[in-house]
Amino acid sequence: MADRRVLVEAVDLEKRFRRFHAVRGVSFHCYAGEVFGLLGPNGAGKTTTIRVLTTILRPTAGTGRVAGHDVVRNPAEVRRMIGVLPENAGVYGRLTGRDVIRYTGRLHGVLPDVLEARLQAICERLDLGSHLDRLTHTYSKGMRQKLNIARALVHDPPVVFLDEPTSGLDVISARAVRDVIQGFKQEGRCVIMSTHVMEEAERLCDRVAIIAAGRVRAQGRLEDLKAQTGLGLEEIFVQLVAQTVA
Amino acid sequence: MIRAAWPWLRSRRGAREATQGEMQRWIQTVYAKEILEALRDRRTLFVMIVLPAIFMPVATLGIPYLAQRQQHMIQTATPAVAVVGEARGLVHLAYATKLITPVRVGDPVAALRQRRVRAVLRIPPRFEDTIARDGQAHVAIFYNASDSESTAARARLVELLSHYSQQVVARRLAARHLNPRDLLPVVLDEQNVATERQVSGLLLASLLPFFIAMWAVVGGMSVAVDLAAGEKERGTLESLLIAPVNREAIVIGKFLAVVTASMGAVIVVLITMMVSLHWGYPYLLHTTQRLDVSLPPGTAVVMLGVALLFSALVSAVQLAVSIFARSPREAQQYVTPLYFVTVLPALAVQFVSEWQRSGWAYLVPVLNAFFAFRELLLGTVNWGHLILATVSSAFYAALALEIAVGLMNRESVVFRT
Repeated sequence: MADRRVLVEAVDLEKRFRRFHAVRGVSFHCYAGEVFGLLGPNGAGKTTTIRVLTTILRPTAGTGRVAGHDVVRNPAEVRRMIGVLPENAGVYGRLTGRDVIRYTGRLHGVLPDVLEARLQAICERLDLGSHLDRLTHTYSKGMRQKLNIARALVHDPPVVFLDEPTSGLDVISARAVRDVIQGFKQEGRCVIMSTHVMEEAERLCDRVAIIAAGRVRAQGRLEDLKAQTGLGLEEIFVQLVAQTVA
Repeated sequence: MIRAAWPWLRSRRGAREATQGEMQRWIQTVYAKEILEALRDRRTLFVMIVLPAIFMPVATLGIPYLAQRQQHMIQTATPAVAVVGEARGLVHLAYATKLITPVRVGDPVAALRQRRVRAVLRIPPRFEDTIARDGQAHVAIFYNASDSESTAARARLVELLSHYSQQVVARRLAARHLNPRDLLPVVLDEQNVATERQVSGLLLASLLPFFIAMWAVVGGMSVAVDLAAGEKERGTLESLLIAPVNREAIVIGKFLAVVTASMGAVIVVLITMMVSLHWGYPYLLHTTQRLDVSLPPGTAVVMLGVALLFSALVSAVQLAVSIFARSPREAQQYVTPLYFVTVLPALAVQFVSEWQRSGWAYLVPVLNAFFAFRELLLGTVNWGHLILATVSSAFYAALALEIAVGLMNRESVVFRT
């Protein structure tokens, strides 16, 4: 982790939907070349935090910055810096994989020759090449997830947000996606991923934040958290969530 | 309209940071993708092209053909009429003219209800004596107004009685050495001065606004539902909103795709209707009337312009509804009433022709377009009315589009699940 630039920063982020307080004072930061995990049970506020940082939702309070750009004041610049795999992301069934990636690339303003070269490179890496000219409604769930990752990468963003990237995938597809995430880290991208699979977090994440009921209950390097409590990650997670519920 | 509305749209919050070139690129990209998806959707192509191509000949020729066929059957058949009472001269005349077939039945009213006879003629006692004494006889006709054949039989009876009365009058006048012509000092001779184009214009004015309204809504409906509510359901909308693209550009790109589908259906309807009327009318329908359904190029262009604005309004409303809806199913439920809201005024315009002369009627959304269509088709164009209709239609379409953009900018709507 040679590059210590902070690429994503959340400071006292809050998000309220009428009476429901989804995110309450969440703060963390993430460096270039780092995979940061947002761990939490369903409904903990992970997806809302990601949506605020990716400019889809406007924070009720607090600050979010991506590559130095404020998510409220400069959302367009933030969007240029990020690639996002949303939770339960779908595909355009009547487009081919190639159409989908080209569409995203054009929206991001990627020049045509650069787009074609990048499309080839990404698809080779994700093993999508032979399926690119098929309509995506024929894709398996794993292929759809890979295609959505390819979309997220087509403009070569320094920051990647992955919301439950292996959710619902079979073992083979999940492993392929995890390999891709490890590749991001080596490329120096800043990766923020949400998951509730502890094993996955232990394999991939350098640091994690455990979120429950919209608050960060603990955060830090995995080794440090384990050393402080003398427990495994899953035990730490279960105890923190149980305390929150109590 | 979009060009006219451009500076206004761009002045919105968030649009300021995008250059015009960027906006155009985004709109083109979104539009091209939506059209590609629509063209690969058999359901959209069916509704946009195949359905109107089949429906229009059936609606414009098939239904009139069936109506004419039924009328011909009624006119050529000699209905059975139960005659109650004695009137030899009248029955003679009935056989001679073949207007009705007189029959005798036990219970004539029951026979009429059971449709064994089409009408009943009740002759009073001593009918012929009364006539012979230069008196006046009252006869009664019983018929069933809910049965078109019975109504036709009634008309035949009235005609028969009229013939009979004329004969009796002629006899009575002759006995008094009077000429029957003396009773008719004025003879009517009618002449229709309407040209073929005017007659055709009246026919088109009664049909076209209805079909344009219908297909402008139906043609764009599935596309509108699919490309906003459908995106929500499929989980593709969030990825789109994360792209560094202005939401105005996204909505305008999608809106143009809906307008294309809507106008595509309208153009197919216009072409198939014109072809059906031009080629099919003289062959399928037995008529001496000739139709000139060709429109002068100028009129056709202005009509398409008005249709485009109407289609833009309908498309923008459909898109706004689709953005607001949680799912395609919900969007479909919201959009269906829009169909009635547009089709009913299209039917009503021919019955409120007095409004056509008032300027305010050209400011009422939907109604304004239909009044403009009528003026164009009847060849009674008032340019002031036309300008009012086009400017107000453009305004309403831009307003509906603005609402659609506003909804797309509201997170409570975008994430309304």
